[in-house]
Amino acid sequence: MKRLLFLLAWASGMMAGLRAENISATASRTAWVMHFDGDWRVVGGLPEKALLISLQGLANRTAPRLYIVHPKEYQWEITEPLREFYERKHGVVFTELRTADEALAQFKSAARGYVIWDKAVASSLNVAFTIAGLEDALVVTEDLVPLAERHGLKRIDDLRGRYAGQSDAQIYQDAINRYWARCTRDAVMLMGGQRGAVMVPGMADWGVRQKMFFHDLAANPAIPAELALERKLLSELNPGATVFGWHPYGKDTEEQHTTLLSTYGLKMEGLHNLPNLSFNCQFSFTPGFRFTNHSHVAPDAKLEAKEKVYLSFVQSDSIGIGVWTKPGRGQLPFAWQVTMNWTRFSPAALEYFHESATPNDYFIGGLSGPGYMYPNHIPADKFPLLMKEANELMAQLDEHVLEIMDNSAADGNLGNADLTKETVDRYYAAFPNVIGFVNGYGPARTRDLRGSRPMISYDYYIDPRRPREEVAADLEELIALNPKRPYFLLVHVRESNDVNSLIAVVKQLPGSTEVVPLDEFLKLAASKKTYTTRYQDPEDPKHFKGF
Amino acid sequence: MRIPMRCLFLKIFLAVLLFPRALAASDAAFDGRWRLDPARSTALDGWSTLDLVIQTEGSKVTMRHDLTWHATKVQATNVLDTAGPAAVKNFFRLDQRHMAVYARPKESAQVQASWIDHGRTLRVEAAVPVETSQGNTSMRIYEEYRLQEGEAELMLIELHHTRPRPLVYRFTRVTENAARK
Repeated sequence: MKRLLFLLAWASGMMAGLRAENISATASRTAWVMHFDGDWRVVGGLPEKALLISLQGLANRTAPRLYIVHPKEYQWEITEPLREFYERKHGVVFTELRTADEALAQFKSAARGYVIWDKAVASSLNVAFTIAGLEDALVVTEDLVPLAERHGLKRIDDLRGRYAGQSDAQIYQDAINRYWARCTRDAVMLMGGQRGAVMVPGMADWGVRQKMFFHDLAANPAIPAELALERKLLSELNPGATVFGWHPYGKDTEEQHTTLLSTYGLKMEGLHNLPNLSFNCQFSFTPGFRFTNHSHVAPDAKLEAKEKVYLSFVQSDSIGIGVWTKPGRGQLPFAWQVTMNWTRFSPAALEYFHESATPNDYFIGGLSGPGYMYPNHIPADKFPLLMKEANELMAQLDEHVLEIMDNSAADGNLGNADLTKETVDRYYAAFPNVIGFVNGYGPARTRDLRGSRPMISYDYYIDPRRPREEVAADLEELIALNPKRPYFLLVHVRESNDVNSLIAVVKQLPGSTEVVPLDEFLKLAASKKTYTTRYQDPEDPKHFKGF
Repeated sequence: MRIPMRCLFLKIFLAVLLFPRALAASDAAFDGRWRLDPARSTALDGWSTLDLVIQTEGSKVTMRHDLTWHATKVQATNVLDTAGPAAVKNFFRLDQRHMAVYARPKESAQVQASWIDHGRTLRVEAAVPVETSQGNTSMRIYEEYRLQEGEAELMLIELHHTRPRPLVYRFTRVTENAARK
């Protein structure tokens, strides 16, 4: 027991020492933190949250001052661990703000006034966010006007009644006429996601800070008036611009929207509820930090596959949404798709993930390029420049595998997720230094091997709700249906699966199955090609036929 | 081999007696719309809902699958012939859609369907052409559609030669009006 106590004391002393060293490595700074609950109802917690998020965007204009921690149930699970990271590695000293009143008292000088949005017209919130960025205004409902005025803020605009009875196309046409000319052309905020009784504009701070145009126009040919407006916005963005946010649920699909912006060579960066970018973007990597991936094989290594089944797991959807913080990580080799754009928007988050990675966590670049995009639709003349950017980011992140996803013809996580031969040719030309590519989201059947660099699609997608005994049976069936050995079974793990349950699944598989890290998997797949070469066949069914 | 005359008469008598009964039972009892009861069935993968619409006519059994996946609606029909083995083009199997196992369009499955258990079970055996990452192969499927006591429920038990577990789907008879809901 004494020895144990001594070890504990020694360890805690070491940790304290490390902490002191890290803090001393950077100048300490003051910031404020608010804790949100999970109530985003329009008739509940949304109005105050919208006010605070607009305040956050303004307060963080010139320095990182206000950070928001979300409950564990929030889709982005890392806000609390990341806050601790800022304390530990950047010396940030956070002061808690408990109420909107306290937040306004602290940051009212960042705002010039307020704009009132109309709770009866959901899109007016997006117009208000646009005004907030341009006019340094807080977005408030009429109920919150007294609070804003108590802090000396004046009315800048009032949207109540302005858009009553109008369609979204009419509302956004008016907003374009009034505000688009003054908004940034490097980005646009697609503030979609949930619509109706609940809205979660968690990313609005970033749009306000950067003076973006906010909208939730549909990229749906069935709503031509909205599609035409969206096309106008996208066509007037600068080359290499980014579409932040997410598509509006119920008005169009992720596939439609991502297809549309890809045709303009633009990048998608989501989701609409991704919080704190206005804060995160103002930190760089800590001094001396360098990305070192947990590679298991050297880039030029040559492996020989044996007569067995090789299985590898990949988690995409950006690591921040995924199972990173759930129990079991590190017990199985996992590849994690990193949204490489975060190098620019959220470096601390990337550093946090790398710092907490186990030897079984291997990072790969994605999705499809320097942002989320569908490569079958990227114009040929824009492809090289985009992929040059992706190459540079991957080099910085020490990533050697690129994950590609083109769901333009798919139906959610099912259906046609394949790449044309032309697209595959472009990737092989644009990424000479990767050890291989993985493709798909749901299962796909694009496969190739050129030189020592395979392109392997997912043979299986684990739905988090699928009973584990059926997952095991599915995998066993795939193994039986692919009788040649070696068989390379690549598995996509959907965001909220937990690793412990996968360990149980793996234990049920036949004895000749080995779970290997992705880099090793690709090297083995390069050594013996038992898979067919295949690209998207023009006759393969397409759920969405395109624009 | 010689068959004693008395025994032969007995067999013919039984065949005449039972054969029409089997047909009648299947005609009357299997026809209609059957809705999957997800709570008592193997989990579907990649389908949200499933209705089976069965129609029998002579030796033919038309089996339509009305499927949804979120907003997507799919109909797939197999016409089975209990008179003997047949090649069925684009045979639809209730697939686990998150597996990279694809139907091979325009190709035919070898299918044998027969009534057993006095017409209360439709047995279907099929060799279905599929594509996997290693190329083209075939999946042998064995199905039994069993009419349950009271004729308000239908159970489908499906075996694959490649799968270690049976797939068990339970259906409840619904009216055609229910299809619109």
